[in-house]
Amino acid sequence: MVTEGKATIPDGMTGQEEAACLAAAMIIRKKSESGQLTLKEEILRELIRQGFLKPEDSDMGCQFEAILKHTIEKNGDLKEVCDRQSIPHYYSIENMTERYANILIQKEGDPLVLIAEMIRENSKIYPRPTPLDVFAKSPFGFAQEEIFYHIRKMAEQEEYQDIQQTTTSIGTVFLFSTLYLDPDYATFLAEWIDVGQVNNP
Amino acid sequence: MAKQGGWAGKVLRVDLSSGRISTEDTIEKYKDFLGGTGIGYKVIWDEVPAGTKAFDPANKIVFGVGPLAGTGAPCNGRTAITTLWPTCWPKSLVASGHMGGQFAAELKYAGYDAIIIEGKADRPVWLSIVDRKVEIKEARSLWGQGIRRTTIEISQIMGSEASVAAIGQAGENMVPMAVVMNSVSHSAGGVGGVMGSKNLKAIGVRGTGKVAIAGDKGEWEKLVKLHLSLLGANNQHVVPNSPQPWAEYFNAGSRWVASRGRQWGASQPAIDTGSCDPHDLNRIAYRTNNSVFYMGDIAWQYTVRGNGCTGCPIRCHTMIKVPAVAAKYGIPEMGMNTCGGLNFGRSFFKSFSDGPRGQGNLEACMVGMHMADDYGIWCNYSQLQRDFIKLYYDGTIKSKLSEKEFKGFSWAKYEKGDPSFLFELLPKIAMKEGELGTVLGLGTGYMLERWGIPESEWKEDKNLVYWHLGFPKHHANEDAGQCGVIINTQYNRDCQCHSHCNFVRNGLPIDVQKRLAAEIWGSPDAVDGVGAYTPMNVYKARMAKWSVLRKELHDSLSLCNWMGPWIASPLKERAYRGDDSIESLLYSLATGDQKNRQELDQVAERIFVLHRALTIRDMGTKEMRTQHDAVPGWVFKDPSGKDPFTKGTIRMDRDDISRGMDMYYEEMDWDKKTGAPNPAAYQKVGLVKVAEELNKKGLLL
Repeated sequence: MVTEGKATIPDGMTGQEEAACLAAAMIIRKKSESGQLTLKEEILRELIRQGFLKPEDSDMGCQFEAILKHTIEKNGDLKEVCDRQSIPHYYSIENMTERYANILIQKEGDPLVLIAEMIRENSKIYPRPTPLDVFAKSPFGFAQEEIFYHIRKMAEQEEYQDIQQTTTSIGTVFLFSTLYLDPDYATFLAEWIDVGQVNNP
Repeated sequence: MAKQGGWAGKVLRVDLSSGRISTEDTIEKYKDFLGGTGIGYKVIWDEVPAGTKAFDPANKIVFGVGPLAGTGAPCNGRTAITTLWPTCWPKSLVASGHMGGQFAAELKYAGYDAIIIEGKADRPVWLSIVDRKVEIKEARSLWGQGIRRTTIEISQIMGSEASVAAIGQAGENMVPMAVVMNSVSHSAGGVGGVMGSKNLKAIGVRGTGKVAIAGDKGEWEKLVKLHLSLLGANNQHVVPNSPQPWAEYFNAGSRWVASRGRQWGASQPAIDTGSCDPHDLNRIAYRTNNSVFYMGDIAWQYTVRGNGCTGCPIRCHTMIKVPAVAAKYGIPEMGMNTCGGLNFGRSFFKSFSDGPRGQGNLEACMVGMHMADDYGIWCNYSQLQRDFIKLYYDGTIKSKLSEKEFKGFSWAKYEKGDPSFLFELLPKIAMKEGELGTVLGLGTGYMLERWGIPESEWKEDKNLVYWHLGFPKHHANEDAGQCGVIINTQYNRDCQCHSHCNFVRNGLPIDVQKRLAAEIWGSPDAVDGVGAYTPMNVYKARMAKWSVLRKELHDSLSLCNWMGPWIASPLKERAYRGDDSIESLLYSLATGDQKNRQELDQVAERIFVLHRALTIRDMGTKEMRTQHDAVPGWVFKDPSGKDPFTKGTIRMDRDDISRGMDMYYEEMDWDKKTGAPNPAAYQKVGLVKVAEELNKKGLLL
């Protein structure tokens, strides 16, 4: 095996293919650094733009699949994650955590699942309730009305009955899961996060 | 490579009564106490007799820095100012204030590890230190000026690179609630009045020297880089406040607020803070924005940049520019501070018409900073404001003031949350004008005494969070249960200890915190989730001891206890582990005096036991447990009646706290009945002579 730069390239590849693997790895890493997953077609587009692949070649598709396969297999930091339509996305764990990648993947699916899983995870592992406005910010980027709409939908569905709200003394709404946090404690924690820590500098 | 480094080598002694200026050798006389508060306690023990009061000429002020000040060690910009405390009630006892800024480094570059101020000048003076040239200068033209003009005028004399620590009118008038301030916004509370009592307006210091590092340069650079790599945001919060690509965890309550799209809106051009991967050590300064943390997202648009102390990449003082306040209040549109200083103005008000994080709140912060940081008024960790709110709304102020004086205030403005009310109130505190201005400047203990309010009333009120001896709690059970309570019993002012709360607020999941806690204090049971407290155990006592000792170590080395210790880090590859030996590694390499973590902690213990001895001596009793280490009644209450050890309350249990104090005393090798150090405790830390002197007074067990 030859290791060149940060990509490890398998034997039997041409110099051009080696360079294409390196380029593919860098595309994924750069996009991860900017907080984005990478789709296959993005990698393909960029490899064509950089001249590693030619659309007029009849086996360009096979060449690309081989390059991509080898790139992912041989670079331990590069990971593949699939969305609900089984479309693969790629990221580098050097710049992106699995947790963040999962948020990005879930963003493309059912928003109720995305919101609920975040709330449940936070309620379980820290444990902490989640301020509603987290979902208005990056990487979620929901509009306020959208968030309220989703919360209302969750309230109507059996599988989301554990998702509850509490409001702090200064009007900030927090969400929590009763699977992991009892309402009293969630209310206490929300108040501490939103008001208590600020009042106890 | 120097054989010895860190220390500058000289302690400057200035007798304001005689005008005599002399120096002492730091290593010869003070090495065993490191610097900072260590030198401060040693001087007060040796030279200030029991019974001295804060404003007596016999009191001394020790501006102490440590061997790490002025080096490349991160977070080294702290000066500890030790004296007998004017707001400590009913008796002045030893305490320290701390200021950041550029003063500590400049003092080291001038060639000094500490300045001991003694006596009293017969007219207003300021102290000029330019390397080894030290002069007591006439300050009549500065007297009566605020801190800003004083700083400007002295800077014009000494050069803009000088660091000026000055008092305002509050200090000049010997208002106990007064500060000394350097570098525009870096204050040490409680000290200003003591300087004023000595007619000392300011100290200007300019140093052209350098601090030697004993160790190998390459090793030092590696160590500094290691330390930088372990830093979180302000208060060592190690996770961001929203999901970031690089982060496994986040905490909405974190001070790590940087993110793509969040901009310093008032910088030219606006600067995006970015996602701040912790491996990028050039972006540490973008992580924290304390204006946003305290004032809400409204502050992003007004943020110019972060600012802070020498050698610190955290930049916890946020510089904000709010053009509207210039026209509205006639104050500068730029303001800069953090925490209590930033919140000074808004903390007086119960509410604002546009909510707790709106424009009214922001403007009150700006007005408060402008006035308090110029007049030099201290808040006593916001106890001033809590007292004011209580006394106004329960009718006490109205009943205690004359009708004329009471009607002289625009109370309607105050109740509406109009920041312009502060223009009426704050100058009166600084000038000791009227009954209200005078009483608010006394500090809580003397205020209660003057107005005939029993201290017990304050100790039972959960909203006041008053502790005792005139000071409030500072990161007690609301942060760290029993550990926080124990720490708060140990000092003669609000304890200003952040060792414990920096850890419990770091934002990591509780399982990760428990894993780290087990490594440091011997069991995951040392820490509980906030408000999910479990009964006391010996590991919590160890954490309390560690917290106090590390605070003393930081205050004596010149490391910032608002950032350290560094036992957690943002680095997933280290399993979020920091390094509990950072202090000893830095100390050993800088000074050439090799000490491991335990050995350096023992020096910290020496310093803290000396503080204890001073308290015993000056209180005239060894009954510390009952007379000093008190816990106020509100700690054992819950407004909704929840029992201790149920989730969602910080209420403590009396018997449990009593057991906690037993365990803590045992960890310290102090007598459980009295809370006084056993003779063996003095011997262990090399304070045999201190023990002998206490013994002569009948104050040794």
